[in-house]
Amino acid sequence: MMNTHSAARLQVKDLVKAFDTPDGSLPVLDHISFSLNAGEIVTIVGASGSGKTTLLRMIAGLDTPDSGQLLLNGHAITKPGPDRAMIFQQFGLMPWLNVRDNVNFGMHVLGLSDEERQARTADAIERVGLKGFETFLPKNLSGGMQQRVGIARALAVRPDVLLCDEPFAAVDAMTRQVMQTDLLNIVTAQGTTALLVTHDIEEALFLGDRVLVFSSRPARLIHEFQVPVPKPRQHEVRTTAQFQDLRGQVWSLLQNQARELI
Amino acid sequence: MVFVAKSGSGVDMISAKAKARQTAKRNELLLSLVIFLALMLAWESAGRMGYVNTFFFSWPSAIGAQCWKLLVSGALWSNLLVTAYAYCIGVFVAVIAGSILGLAMGWWKTFGSIVDPYVVFFSAMPRIALYPLLLMIFGINDLSRIVIVIIGVIFPVIFNAYMGAKQTPRLLIDAANVFGYSSNQLFLHVIFPASLPYLIAGVRTGVTLGMIMVVVAEFFGGSSGLGQNIAQTAQLYKTAELYAWVLYTSLFALILVKGADMFERWAMRWT
Repeated sequence: MMNTHSAARLQVKDLVKAFDTPDGSLPVLDHISFSLNAGEIVTIVGASGSGKTTLLRMIAGLDTPDSGQLLLNGHAITKPGPDRAMIFQQFGLMPWLNVRDNVNFGMHVLGLSDEERQARTADAIERVGLKGFETFLPKNLSGGMQQRVGIARALAVRPDVLLCDEPFAAVDAMTRQVMQTDLLNIVTAQGTTALLVTHDIEEALFLGDRVLVFSSRPARLIHEFQVPVPKPRQHEVRTTAQFQDLRGQVWSLLQNQARELI
Repeated sequence: MVFVAKSGSGVDMISAKAKARQTAKRNELLLSLVIFLALMLAWESAGRMGYVNTFFFSWPSAIGAQCWKLLVSGALWSNLLVTAYAYCIGVFVAVIAGSILGLAMGWWKTFGSIVDPYVVFFSAMPRIALYPLLLMIFGINDLSRIVIVIIGVIFPVIFNAYMGAKQTPRLLIDAANVFGYSSNQLFLHVIFPASLPYLIAGVRTGVTLGMIMVVVAEFFGGSSGLGQNIAQTAQLYKTAELYAWVLYTSLFALILVKGADMFERWAMRWT
């Protein structure tokens, strides 16, 4: 680890988590340590079921670790709070709220003035490209557009850390690539610190400043890659030799893991 | 694609289709009206020619005349008011109390699992069986009728509100929790709206059930109300008037059900 831990936005130290099952204790996270610097986008890639979502839930405060430490701006994370926001795989929009009210949803506990909230909502909707759709209900939006609402909702609270849980796993392949570029641009423009988990190697490399490769069950951090591709990145980055080389390296680490799971 | 290439032809096709659908619907309506009139005519002539026993089955013109008489004499309105009074108060109390109780059961899990068996027991029970007991306690009056309506309606409302609160998607609760929602905010902004479809289904069941309760309760005694008039005219063998009261009772129930439907569609725009 070359990061100086004192300057880190988020620190994960020696995190251990196991689930109780009828067949005994199932370890899911095995002594995970890493950190995120302010403004950095870190992606975690690993096979499905490697405890990545559990890790995000613990950072969000929805779940508690068995041992180890989680520090946000140097303070221990004990419960959820609007200093963190999450983008869910299945969007998690309130179906009875229109786009505007869904984007507003995250700011309820911030104690902002109405004007400030309205301004932030309008700004976030504009950033994700949903201007004109403010009064639409989720059921009338495509999956990609619903996730844009999810992104806007998360951005509107101006979180210290944005947590993304396989955000594009539920949208079609073409939409996914467009949304990856858009998310990267939006997050970079706002200077948001983000932690994204995915099982898609290309997504992890395209979005991350750094990529953490997790082994599966229990998850261990097996390697960390720097992605020395300058931002803003465009779709074409994916076809460069450098990108393809990195992709090959990550894949060679992961394929053994994948084999074990099959 | 070839069709829409010529300007306007696509729109013409759509409007032609819509027109055809409209015509088909009008024809259907006309057909059902014709069948209805034919049935009435058959009943009327069978009654007059002595093919059916009019002592039990009356005939349309006599029933129609009774309906008209009840309408213009004001008897309908005064009796409807009596029934509607007990019904509306009972349903109102049952819906409010049942919703609160059911949502509380879903929200506070220990409370829910303790109360659940009672709700299941009373849901399965033919609750009108409690009415003689209520008569003992309260006597033949509005109060006993209101209470039996409450008992009839509250259980499906509780049951549905409970189910709704319990089945709020985990994802939505997580989404609210991530942003630091307090439990009160979570209830107000997530659990309650997510439970509404179930709750309203419970209210719909309650609307019809309450009608059965109040009418049957009125059979037991009193001097007015739709149910009491049905019971009295039957005892006096005034068959045509009996049919008229049954018809008005059904119309009242139909209006309530349609009203509940409209409310449901309005409240559930987002589903």
